[in-house]
Amino acid sequence: MNTQLLPSPGTGTPTRPAHGPAPVRETGRFAGQHRRRLLRADALAVTAWSSLAASVALWLADGGLAASSSPAGMITALGIVAGLAGMDLVLLMLLLAARIPFIDSAVGHDRALEFHRKLGKPSLYLLLAHGLLIAVGYGMAEGLDPVSEAAALWVLVPDMWLAFISLALFIAVVVTSLVAVRRRFPYEFWYAVHLLTYAAVLASLPHQFSVGGLFAVGTWQRWYWLAICIATGAALLYYRIIQPVRATFRHQLTVERVTSVAPGVVNIEMSGLQLGSLAGNGGRFFIWRFLAPGLWWHPHPFSLSAEPMRTGPDGHGRVRITVRDLGRGSAQLLRLRRGTKVAVEGPYGLFSSAARSKDRVVMIGAGIGITPLRALLENTPFAPGQATVLLRGHSNQELYLGEEILELCRQRGATLFHLTGGRDPGSPDSWLPAAEHRAGYSLEDYVPEIAHADVYVCGPSRWAGSVLKAARAAGVHEDQLHHERFDW
Amino acid sequence: MRIRAAVSAALASAGILLVGWQSGVHVADTRSAVAAAATGNQASEAGTTDNSGTGSSTSSGTTGSLGATGASGAAGAAGAAGAAAKAGGTYDGDAVQTRFGTVQVQITVKAGQITDVTALKLTDAEGRSVQISNYAAPILRSEVLQAQSANVQTVGGATVTSDAYLTSLQAALDAANL
Repeated sequence: MNTQLLPSPGTGTPTRPAHGPAPVRETGRFAGQHRRRLLRADALAVTAWSSLAASVALWLADGGLAASSSPAGMITALGIVAGLAGMDLVLLMLLLAARIPFIDSAVGHDRALEFHRKLGKPSLYLLLAHGLLIAVGYGMAEGLDPVSEAAALWVLVPDMWLAFISLALFIAVVVTSLVAVRRRFPYEFWYAVHLLTYAAVLASLPHQFSVGGLFAVGTWQRWYWLAICIATGAALLYYRIIQPVRATFRHQLTVERVTSVAPGVVNIEMSGLQLGSLAGNGGRFFIWRFLAPGLWWHPHPFSLSAEPMRTGPDGHGRVRITVRDLGRGSAQLLRLRRGTKVAVEGPYGLFSSAARSKDRVVMIGAGIGITPLRALLENTPFAPGQATVLLRGHSNQELYLGEEILELCRQRGATLFHLTGGRDPGSPDSWLPAAEHRAGYSLEDYVPEIAHADVYVCGPSRWAGSVLKAARAAGVHEDQLHHERFDW
Repeated sequence: MRIRAAVSAALASAGILLVGWQSGVHVADTRSAVAAAATGNQASEAGTTDNSGTGSSTSSGTTGSLGATGASGAAGAAGAAGAAAKAGGTYDGDAVQTRFGTVQVQITVKAGQITDVTALKLTDAEGRSVQISNYAAPILRSEVLQAQSANVQTVGGATVTSDAYLTSLQAALDAANL
């Protein structure tokens, strides 16, 4: 069952594969995997909420409710609860950013970071409320105004000055992470400020254990709180530092060749050891750091555009990424020298077979977003006739790796459409080229059985947004939609 | 969030909060009784505590806690005459106000030695305070007895109580001319 390149015609019905849409018959080979993944995601959600409840329960179990009868006591109590909940959210945020494989394989890197972002403001508000309410509550109990009380806390109570600094750092981190502010500064500035989170958390710890009576020496609450703080720190240390360093030493990746694909787009081929563990991750991304002057501190998230080819007994072989000149950082990649050492982290993300829930699969990519699809197409399981690939670009030249993808589609029996041409100026939000859009084509015209397929979308976020919308309109369930951002 | 996850999360959270609340009620019930016994009877109850406190030399005794009413301990004031200390007896320290309640200690002196420290009043406001007091007071007492001064370390998690305790103690020491 050979597959042919099917350019969608500007008029009339799109040409369908000769065999027509195959009848939808699910074998359910991915059903179990899908169920387990959803179960893990649910377990994570339950754990997160439970930890929040537990932080309040710590205070309840201490008889906090009964003890806060006076107005001052009530305000102080609210302040304590806000502090507990705020710290719990901060720890959850750190865990979400720790790239823990369990979280990554359940919800994916993207969504983990999305939750991380969503928790930013609530946790800051809780911490601000904590400081404010405590100053007011304590002040009322001692007959001081909140400002004098805050000053007294800073000067007289040990570790409190650190807590004030911590709060200031938290404010700085959240403010620089707001989209509007972030746009004005380079990524590196935001990243450097973001690292202050660690300083903020560390500075906030002493007062929790020395001033906060809830965590006094000898209480079980103290042990619980210590345990979750230490566990979070250990996860960060292990998954963000130890793992990447180990992977870098294990694989010994070196730039072998940089070849041009199209103007501003290059293939970077790297050779390394034990590449088996990088293989089979089609579509998942790695974070690459090219250890050359001026480059080493730029992390580049890219997926492989070709699976490792093994040439030696110790897994010695080559991997390849395809990179487009998207920013200052990646522009320098075009001039990479042979022999440059490469540090690697990953694989991350859920843009892979691990996310499959159906036998059928549809891959839709635009521009440089096509390249992860190539790796996915290379190794995700499907029977001939059960996969469709749609590639979108302004011109054929922009369908990067188009030739290789055509060849893979032929080999594996996938249907391929090339959708080239400019956007319809009348409706810039259409994901189709102008001609196809005017002719009124929809996703189902290309993939009639799309509602029973996993849909992988990779491309510029606005374009991808319209594709996802079209897929939802075609009856694709949210669980079957897999979207990976590449324009970080 | 999926319905299954939302329901489970709500149930789990509610359960955790309920358990916390229930044990909290229990703590509050027993607390008052314990508090009465503990604060009144500090000396005898603390008799067995033999904490490893090697009375290290932080100057916490003289820092004076928030809203403290005094006795900023001029530690060297012992030079002022007075045979009172030699004779012995009991001396009350100042009542030191803190946000968690009043702290006042009494010392028993025999032949120039502190032989006992009794807490007349200990912090008792806000849920945890009584528990902290009961925990910290025996440690402070044994450290003070060992160091024979107010130069002992504050107890972790009981900073405010410790500071007030040591401030009051210093006042008592001053009164005893020790």
